[in-house]
Amino acid sequence: MSEYNYPQAFEKLRQLVAGIHPLPDDAWQALAAGWQPFSCGRKTCLTRPGEPERFLYFVCEGIQRVFHIDEHLREATLVFMYPPSFGGVLDSILLQSPATYYYETFTPSAFLRLPVPLLHALMEQHPHISTLVRKGLAHTFSGVLHRLAELQTCSAEERLRALLQRSPHILQLVPHKYLANYLGMDATNFSKLLNQVRF
Amino acid sequence: MVCAAATSFVAQTLNMRTPQPALPLLKSLEERTEQQLQTALRVFQNLAPAALNSAPAPGRWSVAACLWHLNSYGDHYYPRIAAALKKGGPQATHFTSTWLGAYFTKMMEPGPGMKKIKTFKSHEPPLSANDPVADVHEFIRQLEWLLVLLREAREADLNRIRIPITLTTLIRLRLGDVFQFIVAHNERHVQQALRACATHHAGDVLSTTVNVVP
Repeated sequence: MSEYNYPQAFEKLRQLVAGIHPLPDDAWQALAAGWQPFSCGRKTCLTRPGEPERFLYFVCEGIQRVFHIDEHLREATLVFMYPPSFGGVLDSILLQSPATYYYETFTPSAFLRLPVPLLHALMEQHPHISTLVRKGLAHTFSGVLHRLAELQTCSAEERLRALLQRSPHILQLVPHKYLANYLGMDATNFSKLLNQVRF
Repeated sequence: MVCAAATSFVAQTLNMRTPQPALPLLKSLEERTEQQLQTALRVFQNLAPAALNSAPAPGRWSVAACLWHLNSYGDHYYPRIAAALKKGGPQATHFTSTWLGAYFTKMMEPGPGMKKIKTFKSHEPPLSANDPVADVHEFIRQLEWLLVLLREAREADLNRIRIPITLTTLIRLRLGDVFQFIVAHNERHVQQALRACATHHAGDVLSTTVNVVP
């Protein structure tokens, strides 16, 4: 993949942070100092169940997913992550316990990433960073509740239409079988439905 | 003209036989596979079933036929490569093609002067696919798998691991040759599939010399 412009990524991180909870200068300097650039190819598994999540990621480029595989090898795609947003197995980061989910890249991806122990130390030292994390999580939680409501109330076609409205470009970037899984349908039904909706 | 082309072919084949660093080779194959995958995601998976099955001319391959053909080779090679890599073993920093491996790869590479290649019956696609969408999904799954295998192979010896070809288990190509051959073969038919979607009239312009896919 091409080299990502990381100085620009720090500016995007600053903008995202400012949109959630503006930090005083000393807190921002302390937070900004801890992030390291990282990039990888498609289908790279960044976190596995049983391992603690080691980083909080800031997604600069690419799409990833957090997913679950059960004992019957059934897969559930739980969340997609796009730039500019935070990524990683968030419950493992906050609980500092082994992850129960996978975090993998869908497309070649570029990140800034912050070691989890450093994040916790910064939250202890800077109440504003603690507030930033709490508010950021509240937004994430709100998104998860919205998705749960959508899964339980909307038909498959409505869920597909909603996805196409929110992120039409994703059809050209991500294998449709993962989109089908995210929407709670099998790949064949997804293709049939997509053809009905589009053609 | 024919002489010049043949001389160039032999020269390029011989050139591939000099030792080359393994990591840049694997990275370049990964990059080509990523590009092929992006084409499949952007174009092929967004075509309606009728378009996937539509041949550019009678007797020519549709998009689904091209992908079915590639999947049939993936079915043979990818599980064998995965099993060989799983066994582990020493790593090697350099790779040298065998004469036969370099020959197969050069034969597959698309480009000016590309030759038509005879397809074995077991790899010949049906004229109309039963489930063309499933063929696209399978092709994408296989390319994702190939990306993972190319990354795992960074820890392996591309000379020592040998994989039997589809024609006979008696011939076992070096893993580095198999990877190069597969990526070139994928490239050839992804380009053919793109031409099939671009027009339903223009067939492939290939010369008539007939070879065989390993």
